[in-house]
Amino acid sequence: MSELFFLPSWPPAGAIPWYALLLLAAAIAGELTRRWLRLPRLLGWIAAGVLLGPHATGLIDAATLGGMRGILDVAVGFVLFELGQRVDLGWLRRNPSLLATSVLESALAFAAIFVVLLALEARPLFAALAAAIGIATGPAVVLSLTRELRAQGQVTERMLLLTSLNCVYAFITVSMLVAWLHHEYSGEWLSILSHPLYLIVGSLLLALAFALATLGLLALLGRREDAQFIAVLALVVAAVYAASLLKLSGVLVLLGYGVMARAFDVKRRFVSLAFGRLGQILFILLFAITAASLDIGLLPAGALAGAALIAARYAGKALGVLALAPLSGLSMRKASLLALGLMPMSGVALVLLHDTAALFPRLGPDLSGVVVSAIVMLEVLGPAVAYFALVRAGEADTTGRT
Amino acid sequence: METLEFKPSAPLTLGVELELQLVNTRDCDLTRAASDLLALIERRPHPGEIKPEITESMIEVSTGIHARYAALLAELRAIRGALVAASDRLNVCVAGGGAHPFQHWSERRIFDRPRFQNLSQLYGYLAKQFTVFGQHIHIGCPDGDDALYLLHAMARYVPQLIALSASSPYYQGVDTAFDSSRLNAVFAFPLSGRAPFSLKWGEFTAYFERMRASGIVESMKDFYWDIRPKPEYGTIEIRVCDTPLTVEKAAVLAGYAQALCRWLLVERPNRVSEEGYLAYTFNRFQACRFGLEGEVVDTASGVRRSILEDILVTLDAIDVHARELECEEPLERVARIAREGNDARWMREAFADGGSLPDLVWLQSRRFRGSE
Repeated sequence: MSELFFLPSWPPAGAIPWYALLLLAAAIAGELTRRWLRLPRLLGWIAAGVLLGPHATGLIDAATLGGMRGILDVAVGFVLFELGQRVDLGWLRRNPSLLATSVLESALAFAAIFVVLLALEARPLFAALAAAIGIATGPAVVLSLTRELRAQGQVTERMLLLTSLNCVYAFITVSMLVAWLHHEYSGEWLSILSHPLYLIVGSLLLALAFALATLGLLALLGRREDAQFIAVLALVVAAVYAASLLKLSGVLVLLGYGVMARAFDVKRRFVSLAFGRLGQILFILLFAITAASLDIGLLPAGALAGAALIAARYAGKALGVLALAPLSGLSMRKASLLALGLMPMSGVALVLLHDTAALFPRLGPDLSGVVVSAIVMLEVLGPAVAYFALVRAGEADTTGRT
Repeated sequence: METLEFKPSAPLTLGVELELQLVNTRDCDLTRAASDLLALIERRPHPGEIKPEITESMIEVSTGIHARYAALLAELRAIRGALVAASDRLNVCVAGGGAHPFQHWSERRIFDRPRFQNLSQLYGYLAKQFTVFGQHIHIGCPDGDDALYLLHAMARYVPQLIALSASSPYYQGVDTAFDSSRLNAVFAFPLSGRAPFSLKWGEFTAYFERMRASGIVESMKDFYWDIRPKPEYGTIEIRVCDTPLTVEKAAVLAGYAQALCRWLLVERPNRVSEEGYLAYTFNRFQACRFGLEGEVVDTASGVRRSILEDILVTLDAIDVHARELECEEPLERVARIAREGNDARWMREAFADGGSLPDLVWLQSRRFRGSE
């Protein structure tokens, strides 16, 4: 034992102090971003994460960051659940052009990224995987901006709806491609069909089970908001772990859980549930931890391909949204703002990337180079552009209370 | 500068304005949708006129001029159809009701137009609390003197119209115990209440000019009276009704007002005087607070009875005139509302049944569609 045993040891043991540091730095950076730059707080949270993370100052090292992975999964799950809860599938029935818009913008984004990456001489399967990941808009970004700006209106509502749908499309496309890859590597036909089927059907069934359990529980607890809130939070955490335990898709389970919890809530018991401050903490942690784990060192090598991916993705999404705007009852001006609102890309794309890389380690580095570069660039560009879109659409609350 | 010349119009013609709520489909709170909805509707020809109101979660629809109830009802239904179709595409619900049951006034946003921004600056929180929804009924008058006579003669029946239309029992998340809490929001404005008593259009013009010269008002729009003359339309505008839950009921109220006005203009059954206003605010409060069970006092005759009875007596008196105007049907409906209860009562029962205010608003929007 050291003679100076009475002095505190450095670095501190356990993750708790690091959470405190991360939250404090992010909260301060967020307020400064808001006040001085007049930009959304989440850019400050991201900056704080990058700065403290292993790829910049290294104050929070890779091992500590790895220990924070658990809370990150919960935060992502929570965001997806909240997004799902906001989405009204009945709208697609009442305005079928919206469903067409969502399929078209996703398909065009996929095609554009695929073609551009092929032109940059990527292998077709990599190009397809990167394109599939690129379909998804970052749900945490759009939801966080909507909350912060208290945005309401067609651009906001459609941004949230299209985001939740394209996350599902991205997931399904990726898992089909993964199945195809599996076949290429192992030659087993059974897994081509059974694995995506297990993922999709299994995830939806799990989501259904959680949705019904939640509604039953809420009915039992009655209209006591704090009790309801805690119960729902606990069930969301449970759903995140159940999904990973059963090797199902967290994205699909949590989104589906949110959507179904709303759809089956005929008596509207659930609607006034707001996740308020605790939700805010999860958002901060989500952005800061994600940012800290981004390897900005990949940027120089992947910048060109990343930028090409971003441009192609935007072109595809914009074309899809604009083409069907008149049919779906949106002005061209608002449609072009909506296309900007679909730019963000982060958490879910990383999840999909990790899942793929975990299944096929040999693919990891190539794919990560391009996709992570794109994510790093969009980490700043996406929120800024989406913020601009909501403000220009006149849907943000500009009374200064944000 | 506005001249106060009374443009004659065909007597007893009818027009209706309805202020409507725009709520989201998620938690049924008021939502910012007026500009999107208007942009979509204005793309092609539609019945009636649809305009923005002071906040983004409110629109106003108005009908053309009609001689008969049936035509008015048909146009209101057509407007409703256009609104429902457009709002479905935007995932918004349109609902009737005099106030939103649980919205918080501080969250409202003022529609971006100079007039509304000015009102908001002048009245501060009052402008946002004024997120209430009323039905205005216009009745055509041949000249200014008749308009003033009708305005003051109708004052006696204001409590009936309040009680029949009342649909704002919930406000800011609580049961106010009032059937119409909306009118309490209107009272807060300095120029609310009733028009000054005079039966000559010349006298009224002189009054208005004095108010304008002293800088108190700029136009007739600055008066928030229960009934006010609208000289450029050649009408009186009855503004005490809450927006009912259905356009059908809006047409019924208009038909009832039309028949009442014909009776008053043709038979001149009551002597109209400043005296007649003695019990005005008391009666009005009774109607807002207790609805059809409220009591009205007629200071001239000394009669005191419930608004329900008062309506039934009036219905008997105006029966002949209803036949002349082909509006027996709305009068039967009025009798039924008087016996079976107003929208405020329906709302309280629906809330007791479902147990949540968002659910209540949802049911209101279903009723507005005409699906229940």
